[in-house]
Amino acid sequence: MSTGKSLEAPAQQQPQPSGSPKAGGRFKRLLTTENLMLAPAITVLASITIFPFLYLIYASLMDFALAMDDPTFAGLRNWVRLFKDPAIAQSWKVTLIYAVVGLGLEVIIGVGVALLLYATPWGRNIFVTLWMLPIFVAPVVAGLLGWFMLNSSYGLYAWVLQLVGINTDIFGNVATALPAVILIDVWEWTPLITLIVLSGLQSLPSEPLEAAEVDGASYWQKLRYVILPLSARIIVVAMLIRSMDIMRFIDTIFITTAGGPADSTKIIGLRLFEVAFRFMDIGYAAAIGLSMLFVTILLGQAFVKVMYGR
Amino acid sequence: MKKKFLLLLSCLAILSLALVGCGGGEEPAQENEQQNVATGELVAGPFEEVEGLPVIQAPEGFDWKQFEGVELNLISENTPPSSALAANIGEFEEATGIKVNIQQMDLGTLVQKVGLDFGANSSKYHLVYADPYQILAKYSSKLANLNELNGDPSLPKIPGGLDDFIQSQLEIDGYMGSKDNLYALPYDAPTMVLAYRTDIMEAIKEDFKAEYGYDPTPNPEMTWDQYYEVASYITDHADELDVKYGTGHQAKQYDSLMCDFSNILAANGGDYFKNRDLGGIGAANPGPADMTSPEAIKAIKFYDKLLGVAHPASKSWDWNGLAEAFAAGEVAMAPEWHEFASMFENPEQSKVAGNVAWTVLPKGPAGSANIFGGTGLAINENAPDEEKKAAWLFMVWATSPQAQLMILESPVGGATPSRTSVYELPKVKTAMEDPSSEEAKAMPNLTSMSATLEAWKIENSYGRPKIPMWPEADTIIFTELSKMLADQQDPEATAEAINEQLNTLTGN
Repeated sequence: MSTGKSLEAPAQQQPQPSGSPKAGGRFKRLLTTENLMLAPAITVLASITIFPFLYLIYASLMDFALAMDDPTFAGLRNWVRLFKDPAIAQSWKVTLIYAVVGLGLEVIIGVGVALLLYATPWGRNIFVTLWMLPIFVAPVVAGLLGWFMLNSSYGLYAWVLQLVGINTDIFGNVATALPAVILIDVWEWTPLITLIVLSGLQSLPSEPLEAAEVDGASYWQKLRYVILPLSARIIVVAMLIRSMDIMRFIDTIFITTAGGPADSTKIIGLRLFEVAFRFMDIGYAAAIGLSMLFVTILLGQAFVKVMYGR
Repeated sequence: MKKKFLLLLSCLAILSLALVGCGGGEEPAQENEQQNVATGELVAGPFEEVEGLPVIQAPEGFDWKQFEGVELNLISENTPPSSALAANIGEFEEATGIKVNIQQMDLGTLVQKVGLDFGANSSKYHLVYADPYQILAKYSSKLANLNELNGDPSLPKIPGGLDDFIQSQLEIDGYMGSKDNLYALPYDAPTMVLAYRTDIMEAIKEDFKAEYGYDPTPNPEMTWDQYYEVASYITDHADELDVKYGTGHQAKQYDSLMCDFSNILAANGGDYFKNRDLGGIGAANPGPADMTSPEAIKAIKFYDKLLGVAHPASKSWDWNGLAEAFAAGEVAMAPEWHEFASMFENPEQSKVAGNVAWTVLPKGPAGSANIFGGTGLAINENAPDEEKKAAWLFMVWATSPQAQLMILESPVGGATPSRTSVYELPKVKTAMEDPSSEEAKAMPNLTSMSATLEAWKIENSYGRPKIPMWPEADTIIFTELSKMLADQQDPEATAEAINEQLNTLTGN
């Protein structure tokens, strides 16, 4: 009978290996209510992140060029090609310029505007709302706006430039195409930096600033020795978010220049898009994608180290 | 007795197998030859008939509503014929009960979506706008063999038969590698010809003639060197004329740059590969590249020189950008797809309406070369049989002469037909011959048609290589040309770079 069995000690009935009770205990400890409630979310998250990541590694070792539904094993061929391909090196070079100049401008202008808004005694909400408007525009639309404004046949900015004697075509010239797409990105995403930094400034403790004022510090002294050191972490967070985005967002460039002229605006994300969806070379695209992921992780780690002062 | 009976039975079996075997080899050929011949009595389908055009027919007793309730997805580039088809899809849906969802997008997105659909062996898109170079050449094994559907005695046949299509277009749009299987039917037929401003030519005619000794008005005998002279002259005298530059080009780092350059390459007798028979039915392996030939280098040098006097924004224009600039009166001449004629003649979209004429592209040492950019309509092989047959009914209707005429006359369309019978209609002939006629006003695309028909002649037509790796080859070509136009490399280095990369790509 079941009641009789349950009264007997399990250890006496069936000797267990020495590690099992410990492992069972650990498993039992995992089955807490909070863990069980989190399990569905973790399972979904794992399936949409870990599985694609593992598949990406698999794909980078395969050749899909001949038939997408019947890949063949390619070993490290895609990876060797990645390091030998001059087009990839050129795209990383453009990405570096695009990221450093774009991010630099966005941080300088974004922090500057945040400080102005922080110091504004009235109407801050109206200015913030107006300043934030470009964020709500989809990157594709930002690209189209840039294209219409700078179009040499009917663009407003192009017309103004022609009035002052500049007759070049902005998107058709190597010297101006990259600055133009950087400026479109700056126009759209600087408000995000402002928003993040402004929220940080508004949560600054008032005591250090009051103490500085009592000591007779000027605005610049307060900025240099109190405000900026206290808001440094939030600025780094803003830079971290934007630096990751800047490598992924290709919409604006895709619409305006398609990577040209002479590959001068073909950032690595656009090159990846081209290899994956124009050439359908999924194996090589996976290798490029993983290299981008690796660079993004390194970048993220660097920012985190800066943030914690290590 | 039993042994003899078994021997006799074996002999009969072998004989029948041999007969079946012999017959089997000839059957497809006979089927191909006889595919346009009705197997039973054919009766007209429930579609409006147009006098002078072949009628859409089906075997007697054919139930046009047998696929009622089936929903088909057609993926197409956002081109005028698809817009016209979408606007008139009611006629087909009413007659068959089949619902057709027409999704339109840019060609790049289309190629991406179709590639993923085929890669997953799915049939999300039953009907595919099969660009010969980016879809047909690469994915022909994923497309249904239309010979089988056209040869099925229980289904409607292609009205007017395959012979009614313009044959060079059928070859490019329909086949890949050989003529064993037919994968697509010609659907649209954009071709690059030369658009020019008649008012500008009138304005410079006398002075130019006095200086250079010939009429600057573009005509079929004009050479590329003369074109360069006329373009330079107009640019130099732009202050006195209602135009900014003599010529404009679609030289953005994009497919358009390869198309624009190909006209000059072929006119000089050059081509991308040594094998010159790749432009028709195509081939899986094109063999060695030929971009370092004297003809190719000459063409590259000339293109670089020509772009030097072109509108500077040419380097940021694709075909749409160039068309907008021409319509805005920025350039006097432009090699452009002929289907922009309706836009140029529309006063709401064009400042130059009424002042535009067309001719074939100028000649080089090898004659005039006008790149063909037409596309076919194909059926996804992965689709279930019922949906495939329903898609065939749509194909029969959409590529019929009646539908092609409807597209030509549609206010939202304007594409030119791929059927010879449509060009035989009196009203179409009148529109082509007299641009000032009411018929021409109703079908403005026909204003470029005389030039286009000339461009479709075998000696004037150019088909880019139809090979599976064309998207990569195309990218190599336009990227290196773009570097040259940006003064990053000279023409010789450009030729070397293209040649080397094409050979690496094709394994030669």
